[in-house]
Amino acid sequence: MELAKRHWERLSHGPFLRLVRHCVDRIFSGGESTEPGELDLSIATLLALLATPGAFVSLFCMDHYGSLLLFLRGQAIDFDPYTASSSDEYFFIVLAMVVAGAAAVWKWDRLLPDRRDYANLAPLPIASSRIFLANLAALSVLAVVLSLDVNAVPSFLFPLVVCALQTSHVFGVFLATHTLTIVAASAFGFLAVFALLGILMALLPYRAFRKASLYARCGIVFVLMALLTTSVSVPRKMEHLRNVSRAWAYLPPPAWFLGLCQTLRGQRGPAMTSLGGAAIVGLLCALALSLAAYSLCYARCFAQSAETMANLPAGRAARASVVFRLLDPLLLRSAFQRACYYFAFRTIFRSEEQAFALGGFLSLGIVIALQTLLPAMNNRPSPTMSGAIPSAGMLSVPLIVGFFLIVGLWSVCAIPAPLRANWVFRFHVNSRSRECAPLGRKIILTFVVPALAIVCLPMYSHFWGWRLGVVHTALVAMWCVLLTEGLLVGFRKIPFTCSLPKFKSHVIVSVLLLVLGYFAFTSVTATVESWALADPLWFVLFAPVVLGVSVALYKWRRGMAENDRRILFEEQSITVVEVLNLNS
Amino acid sequence: MELALEARGLRKCYTAAPAVRDVTFGLHAGEVLGCLGANGAGKSTIVKMLTGLSEPTSGQVLWFGASIHQDLVAYRRRLGYVPEEPELYSYLSGWEYLEMVGTLRGMERAKMAKKIDALLALFSLAPHRHSSIGSYSKGMRQRILLIAALLHDPEILILDEPLSGLDVVSAMIVKSLIKTLGERGKAIFYCSHVLEVVEKVCSHVMILRKGKVIAYAPTAEVHRMVGQASLEQAFVHLVADRDAEQTASEIVQVMSTGAT
Repeated sequence: MELAKRHWERLSHGPFLRLVRHCVDRIFSGGESTEPGELDLSIATLLALLATPGAFVSLFCMDHYGSLLLFLRGQAIDFDPYTASSSDEYFFIVLAMVVAGAAAVWKWDRLLPDRRDYANLAPLPIASSRIFLANLAALSVLAVVLSLDVNAVPSFLFPLVVCALQTSHVFGVFLATHTLTIVAASAFGFLAVFALLGILMALLPYRAFRKASLYARCGIVFVLMALLTTSVSVPRKMEHLRNVSRAWAYLPPPAWFLGLCQTLRGQRGPAMTSLGGAAIVGLLCALALSLAAYSLCYARCFAQSAETMANLPAGRAARASVVFRLLDPLLLRSAFQRACYYFAFRTIFRSEEQAFALGGFLSLGIVIALQTLLPAMNNRPSPTMSGAIPSAGMLSVPLIVGFFLIVGLWSVCAIPAPLRANWVFRFHVNSRSRECAPLGRKIILTFVVPALAIVCLPMYSHFWGWRLGVVHTALVAMWCVLLTEGLLVGFRKIPFTCSLPKFKSHVIVSVLLLVLGYFAFTSVTATVESWALADPLWFVLFAPVVLGVSVALYKWRRGMAENDRRILFEEQSITVVEVLNLNS
Repeated sequence: MELALEARGLRKCYTAAPAVRDVTFGLHAGEVLGCLGANGAGKSTIVKMLTGLSEPTSGQVLWFGASIHQDLVAYRRRLGYVPEEPELYSYLSGWEYLEMVGTLRGMERAKMAKKIDALLALFSLAPHRHSSIGSYSKGMRQRILLIAALLHDPEILILDEPLSGLDVVSAMIVKSLIKTLGERGKAIFYCSHVLEVVEKVCSHVMILRKGKVIAYAPTAEVHRMVGQASLEQAFVHLVADRDAEQTASEIVQVMSTGAT
């Protein structure tokens, strides 16, 4: 015992474990870009955040399985927990996979040792293989901690809620299978994302990887959101495929893990066996691919950092400058607007944090738009749509994407690019300049309106004739302008140069307004438009609405105090008590 | 002759203890004023107040007799500034960064582009002008900052450690450049730790100690005032709390024995 204790003492204070601790630290925090005012969460905060969704969803399940509630509703209390809970089980699997995958996407840049690690670790007397193993150990720790953390609460709470009236044997089986499945799903989510990162890094040259990684992350976010939003419909589809032996090929990975869970619970059948097998094979493949990709990119990227660091890429002249030159006389009339517009444009496309956040908003918009589009297409009035009037759902598709793009751009503008570099704006820009809102408007509208018009005009013209295409595109553009104007009231920042907004007292109101705004912007406008397309008299309604909103926004802006118009470089919290220095 | 830049009784307090106390000096066109001081002496605080990035707790900075805060924009239009740390947007290329600065300064596009290309070539950055700044070395970032400060041909230059990270050749070019700009009538405020450079390029020297000016005179006069042969000896005489050689031998002792 004493010997083991001494051995552990020596090991825990030895270089290898210190290296593992360093690798864990660099994954969780300590990013190069981290600086005051930017978002960097401690390990405890991060773990608490990741554990929260599972805990909340478990509590919401009381509504489905709470015996008192079922009794009061007059529903049967003695249900089969295995079959009755399968759709909720699927949701937990999706949630575990999505949260673990999202965490891997979030920490994407820190999962593998980079050039900074090379610069710091390579000169030290540590064998390269030890760095390799230390980071591998740190990754394993991360995968295990994530899997346990994300599922810690639902592992107990969900079985407890579902099996409250069952025997202890049923509860035990339910608990064990549920825990095993969601932990395996988490591990799969994390490993699958990590394997993709490793493969990209191992195959692509460094510069190409940097570019591709951004799109890959956006793609993964899109897939994760699609998994979340389809978590209601997939279990229904599984019912239809109950007797299909190759069901795994038609269903997404979370369904494989539901199959595994049900197989372990004895709910056998051709589909479940196929899905369960796919889950085990998928998990093993993800693990093998991760290990292979990790070894490859360690050898290729980390161990050869000295060579790659010595070669400075030459870079290429920006092709966008031609487009910018065209925009100058048309849109960007002042030096302030030109400089800040180009800066914002380049930041959106090149700064990973901003591009990734915008990609997230866009992905969410596309997922919701697709979910609206598919049922609307199934319910179309006639096989050939030309001549008919599109439904409100069909009309709302570009509005949904537009809403998420506009709100996304507006939110992303509040995320600072390296804050320490904003001295260049503080130094050169007149803080009394009132051009922030016009600048924000130009950034959002030149980004959103042409993109929507390019998709919207040909699509609607093709299906419903060019007149409807033009009218709908014009209306979408008009609503986008109004939404942008509304969001930019009181906007007085140069995008990406101000510290992150502090949580203010009206944050809940803002979120509620955005949710209400979403329904007004996508549903109400599309419904009224569909009425107007049927009866053009309804178009008259648009004029007073647009005019009223425009006048209200104009008056609001005019009524703002001079001090509320100065350009902000630092978000300051509102002080509740202000001390008046009356002595001086 | 009117002073191009003047500091009158500058005082800055971040906490109860002031970081800068009663700093007063003047700078004529054609003068290069070297500002020396140990770490934490208040050099960067003074620079921030001179550039208008930070407001003094009391005192004022005057530009041709008027407070810079009366028309900060006009003042900055004629000011070139190289900050201590090369904080730049790493995802922009060197060319794009300079274009942004030039545009913010309201320079005419064609003229600006020509100037940027020429300056990038003179500072040996032309081959890397389209590479992202993230891939630049510290010296290359420093050269970008220097170009950004010179792009609009400013009347006043505030340089905070402009030679930091530069290679020998680039440092020699910048030293000559500062001298030449001074001769051409620019007013230059130059902060540095490198005493021999200050001695070579500055017409006047100001030495700070714990936020206070302890010597301010033409360079040659500072030697005479403290009776030392070189600026380095004068600086050590005025500022150093400890004997450098003794401290060095103590360090060696700690390295070998673990105690002094």
